[in-house]
Amino acid sequence: MIDFFLRRSGAFIFYILLQVLVLNNILFYGFINPYLYIYFLITLPPTISRSAFLLIGFLMGFLIDIFSGTPGCHASACVFLCFVIPYLQNLFGPRNEHTSNVMPSFKTYGPGSFMQYAIILVVLHHFFFLMVEYASLSDILWVLLKTLFSSIFTVLMIWVLEMIKSKN
Amino acid sequence: MRALIRFFVSNRILILFLFLESLSLFLVVKHNQFQRNSFLNSSNAMVGNIYAMSNSVSEYFGLGKVNQALAVENTDLKQRLYQLEEELRFLKQDSSYQGRKEMALQKKYSFVTAKVINASYNKHKNYLTLDKGAADGMKVEMGVVNDLGVVGIVSEVSEHFSVVLPILNPHSYINVKLKGENKSGSLIWDGRDSKTAILEEMPRYVKAAVGDTVVTSGYSSIFPEGIKVGTVKYLKQKNDDNYYIEVELFVDFSRLSYVDAMAFDNLEEQQELEAKNLKKMEGGKK
Repeated sequence: MIDFFLRRSGAFIFYILLQVLVLNNILFYGFINPYLYIYFLITLPPTISRSAFLLIGFLMGFLIDIFSGTPGCHASACVFLCFVIPYLQNLFGPRNEHTSNVMPSFKTYGPGSFMQYAIILVVLHHFFFLMVEYASLSDILWVLLKTLFSSIFTVLMIWVLEMIKSKN
Repeated sequence: MRALIRFFVSNRILILFLFLESLSLFLVVKHNQFQRNSFLNSSNAMVGNIYAMSNSVSEYFGLGKVNQALAVENTDLKQRLYQLEEELRFLKQDSSYQGRKEMALQKKYSFVTAKVINASYNKHKNYLTLDKGAADGMKVEMGVVNDLGVVGIVSEVSEHFSVVLPILNPHSYINVKLKGENKSGSLIWDGRDSKTAILEEMPRYVKAAVGDTVVTSGYSSIFPEGIKVGTVKYLKQKNDDNYYIEVELFVDFSRLSYVDAMAFDNLEEQQELEAKNLKKMEGGKK
């Protein structure tokens, strides 16, 4: 249990630093910014209580916000993400009694189900985040375009990470 | 009462969700109102130090480019130095020169050179963090330039760091004009392309053409007159009296390293005088 806690805390800090120090500076065509840090949230196991899950999401988003100078934008998107994750885990997770409390991954969900699960969450998060950041409906087309392209890159990165994990 | 408690317990997830969501959205709104929440920005000490550490590693990868830019600027400055020396020699023969020299020296700008340790250019609201703060002489409302042209205006200063509102921010508003013309307009950003800004309030009677240079107007006393901003990329006559002008910026915001912050030394005196005048005018009305 303690081992799990320490490892997850390490991963928590790692994904935040990866996001603010590396990924926020890697830009494809000047406007596509992948937000890989949500990979940490979408692979948390459902054994964590839902209220703790919401608080972890808020804390993570809040820390990313402080570094990116967008107070509240990432936090609100992450809280929303953490609210919907359990429903999607029920939908895409394994049906078996013994295995329903597992961490979402290629191995436990199967590649097809896991990618569907990840794609839906990534698009929801990116769209929510960009809508809050732009905060106006007049830029809706631009927001949709950015959501689409940023999601493609985030999903690709998640896919690569899962491939590496399942090989080991 | 018991029913109420039961309601809260059974809906605690939804209530927590709504609470955290409203807390975040409150932060968003607050941030928009005050432009930058003074506690949550990257000029606060911990965030600033982490960025400074990260920058001390990543700056090595850009050294070649920085060197090249410095060399180019050096040559350019040398050339101008020779030109000015030549002019000076010529002017010294002029008897009215001494008086004019004294006048020119009264309008002085002081400079602070700083390194950009964190920058964004792909967001809707972009900011830069510099590694110099109030302790090094940085002040709010200083103009920030680099060797290519105008970068932005200092918006927030802490002891050792400061935050710049660059041209690439919807709140940025810089007074500019077309080179050779006197009518000034304002340069704003529409949140799209990091290489293009919009020049507004430029009346149609001004002679403008694609390729014209856009420079600072010098009317706002943040920037001196004539600092380069960009070139006219696209120009359209609108239905009202103004042009729609897109300006291609000289500064590459994806590759900023060293910048100069400048302040007009007698700014306070000028502002005081203007305020005094305003008071007098209002008093006169009554």
